[in-house]
Amino acid sequence: MEEMAKVAFGLYTLIILGGSLLAVGAKSLVRAMVGLIATLLGVAGMYMLLNSTFMALMQILIYVGAVCVLIFFAIMLTKADPEGEEAASAPIYQNVLALLAVLVTGGVLSWLVLTRPLATTGVPVEVSIEKLGLGLLGPYGLAFELISVVLLVSMAGAVLLAWERRNGK
Amino acid sequence: MSPLTLYQLVALILLLAGLFGITQRKTLVGMLICVELMLNGAGLSIVAAAQLTPANAMLGQLGTLFVMGLAAAEATLVLAIIVVIARRFGSTKTSVVSTLKG
Repeated sequence: MEEMAKVAFGLYTLIILGGSLLAVGAKSLVRAMVGLIATLLGVAGMYMLLNSTFMALMQILIYVGAVCVLIFFAIMLTKADPEGEEAASAPIYQNVLALLAVLVTGGVLSWLVLTRPLATTGVPVEVSIEKLGLGLLGPYGLAFELISVVLLVSMAGAVLLAWERRNGK
Repeated sequence: MSPLTLYQLVALILLLAGLFGITQRKTLVGMLICVELMLNGAGLSIVAAAQLTPANAMLGQLGTLFVMGLAAAEATLVLAIIVVIARRFGSTKTSVVSTLKG
């Protein structure tokens, strides 16, 4: 079982790596979206490995099911370039700045992660769905209500922004 | 290397891919895709830290659920903003959308 987990971890890491490379580097936005979906599925697999099945299902349901469809709508509603939206190469200084940001952030954060290992438990703990539901209704009820308010406000704001007024009214 | 470190490194890869993309992409939709990458890295890091340490595992999973909810709200709003910008400027390239008052 130990080896199986390692193989699965490597496989998911490869999926995440390839997917994020495609999402960042693809010339066409639809291909970038396919890369993003692959990455999201890889992360869902990581959640499975971490013994949190509910999170994996929610990842697929919310991200792949809702957010990706929303972004596809965004791509559809904007005018597409026949030769790819990102076909023109970025100016040199922009690439240099992007690389600099990645190197500095990655250097600092990976140094922190690698030099300060935390005490870990060997096996991920399992939280049952009942416990999660009770937590949402009990100690974290306020956060639950607040996130529904945020979703309502953002939905109303989106409708208000995209509302097309008829001429003369 | 402990498993937690490995998971944190994968989350770091997601963050860096998103950061590189958001500074280098030329359309608003491409930048939105990169933001989603970064949020996923944050969620993975939170769940890994909660599941593999003696910390409160339920809190970690609920926190990641809230991150997902916020990502959905953010995607909705950004979609509406992109539609408005596409209607007004005729393009969502960041080089075209450069006037403050139109």
